[in-house]
Amino acid sequence: MTRWSLAGVWCALIVLAPAVCAAQADESRLWIVAGGASATVRGDCQTCEEDFPYRHGPGILANAGYRVNPRMDIGAEIFWVPLETASGTLNTTHLDAVAQFRPWRTQGFFFKAGAGMAFIRNWVDALGPGSINSKALSVVVGTGWVFRAEKRVGFELFASQHAGALGDLQTSGGDVPDVLGNYWSIGAALVFR
Amino acid sequence: MCALAIGAVPVAAQETEPSFLARAIESASLFEQPAPDPYANARSCAGCPPRSVGRAFLQTTVVNVFYGLANLVRGQVTARVTPKTWWANMENGWVWDLDDFVVNQIGHPYQGSNYYNAGRANGLSFYESAAMAAFGSATWEFYGETNKASLNDFINTTLGGIAIGEVLHRVSWLMRDPTKSGSGRLWREIGATVLDPVTGYNTFRRGDASRISEKPAEMIPSALGGFASAGVLWRGTEHEAFEGAGQSFAEVDLLYGDVLQGRSRTPYDAFAMTLRFGGGAPVSEARLIGRLLGEPLGKAGKFQLSVAQAYDFQTNDAYSFGAQSFDLGVSFTQPLSSRIGLTLSGSGGLTVLGAIDSLPLGVEEVPVEEGEPTGGQGVSEGPRFYDYGPGSKFTLRALLLHDRVPFAVAFYEGRQLYSLDGLRANHFLQHARLDLRVPIYKPIGFGVAAEYFSRHTYYQDEARTEKLFRYPQFRTYLTWDIS
Repeated sequence: MTRWSLAGVWCALIVLAPAVCAAQADESRLWIVAGGASATVRGDCQTCEEDFPYRHGPGILANAGYRVNPRMDIGAEIFWVPLETASGTLNTTHLDAVAQFRPWRTQGFFFKAGAGMAFIRNWVDALGPGSINSKALSVVVGTGWVFRAEKRVGFELFASQHAGALGDLQTSGGDVPDVLGNYWSIGAALVFR
Repeated sequence: MCALAIGAVPVAAQETEPSFLARAIESASLFEQPAPDPYANARSCAGCPPRSVGRAFLQTTVVNVFYGLANLVRGQVTARVTPKTWWANMENGWVWDLDDFVVNQIGHPYQGSNYYNAGRANGLSFYESAAMAAFGSATWEFYGETNKASLNDFINTTLGGIAIGEVLHRVSWLMRDPTKSGSGRLWREIGATVLDPVTGYNTFRRGDASRISEKPAEMIPSALGGFASAGVLWRGTEHEAFEGAGQSFAEVDLLYGDVLQGRSRTPYDAFAMTLRFGGGAPVSEARLIGRLLGEPLGKAGKFQLSVAQAYDFQTNDAYSFGAQSFDLGVSFTQPLSSRIGLTLSGSGGLTVLGAIDSLPLGVEEVPVEEGEPTGGQGVSEGPRFYDYGPGSKFTLRALLLHDRVPFAVAFYEGRQLYSLDGLRANHFLQHARLDLRVPIYKPIGFGVAAEYFSRHTYYQDEARTEKLFRYPQFRTYLTWDIS
């Protein structure tokens, strides 16, 4: 994904925000978050000798869910990270069930955790060429600050860490055991309630 | 004149103004009133703990410091944390760890229950306290040990901590009776503190352990039933129904609330717990299943839809297994007579993370470790003889009840686990059980049970090797109805 397409997504979000808000009822319990991030990714094999590199790229994050109470939201999260590597684009999509907790109602601080699945294509070229698709167990933890937390439209800054546990990875060069990817990200997003 | 003046005071005035003596007695009696409650404004009910999010965070961190210091005192090199180890852990990210099965499947969930109850003890709701368990677990993994942050520990500590924490919290409230005073009350509070130390500490710290109040309504179950039982079990092999001497066991089965009826949005207002000690291991079975949501369906609510969270730990001759999972279930209740009822239920669910013992092909027994680990005490260097992965489960259950107490139970459970870390294998486990209980005298009864365990492992090697192990188990036991 290019910077231009990321910018396009941002513009669309800004344009669509008022429409989304207008569609909401006064007592809406909807929780929607959409934004972008800068991500650092490292795929690691616990039993391998290789030194696996850190890679950097953009990411897109979206949450949709339900406000349990003023401090707690639960829902689904999609986090997509495309990375350009020597052997092509490495795409990862995390699809998680998440719970987000804002401990102090008057403050914007929040943290979240969740688990689900990750879909990974063309992984760890350091281990050899070949486009391999794989599904993985996904886990996410994160924290951040949301501005205008009680308003229909807010804004948040976040930092999160996703993990994608692939298990044994099949590559053209053979099977690689116990592969686990870590995705660190910092970003910003619009929040609709 | 004075007498006239006194006599002239209207009768009504004399009745409304208390005498000096009456006022003195009243003011003296003030000293006998309980001290004003400094937390009154922060409580959502008279017997509820005062709400303090900051204190919940603080106590969660203190729990981490406590475990860290305990490990340090025990000489574990992994407890020697510094900012450098914190940064190294954050830079490295999550890994799978190599700790012992029981440490990961019982120890970590129990530690998580302490974080969770740091929330509950300070007035936080179920979901808010669940977040506290995740916070405590994540901070422990990154900052509490020099070990790299363990993904399996994070999941087990958080989800297991929520399940065990809420159950311990509610069972400890069954013991408490804040309407009472005296030594009986004190011993109840001490007993509750043993079960849920974090809530107990806060109760004593605030003076709630001796304060008279009503029990929080949320902590009073709509129904309560269960058995304590003790007996002997015999295990068979694939070829013989019985082998060797019997093994003694003790079991507690608790039914808290009415799992089968009612609309519910209060997590764990109904749960079922089975805890078996002995029978071949110090703890051979621990099962918790707590209702998160309940909704009656159909006419007269004969059907019940429920979403539940489950924690499982089992160790037997066929497998050692532990899991954190979520279930969607439907149950059906039909009265057969004025006192006899039938309940059928079925559920299916997802296992977020399960663990099962495993041996590589060609290895028949877990090798005995020789010598001290080179990494120092507290560093697990492997190899680890069990697998981790997500999976699925399904359960069928039929109960015959007499006055709402089950006297015949048929149960079947199938589980599939896809190994992500460990051997390349798929595991399929089955457990069937038939229990019959007969009352003998008042709360005492007699029970017999027949069980069947099966484990099918599908190795992902080139030959696609399959291994099957199964055996029967019989139990006889005396029960004590604790309803």
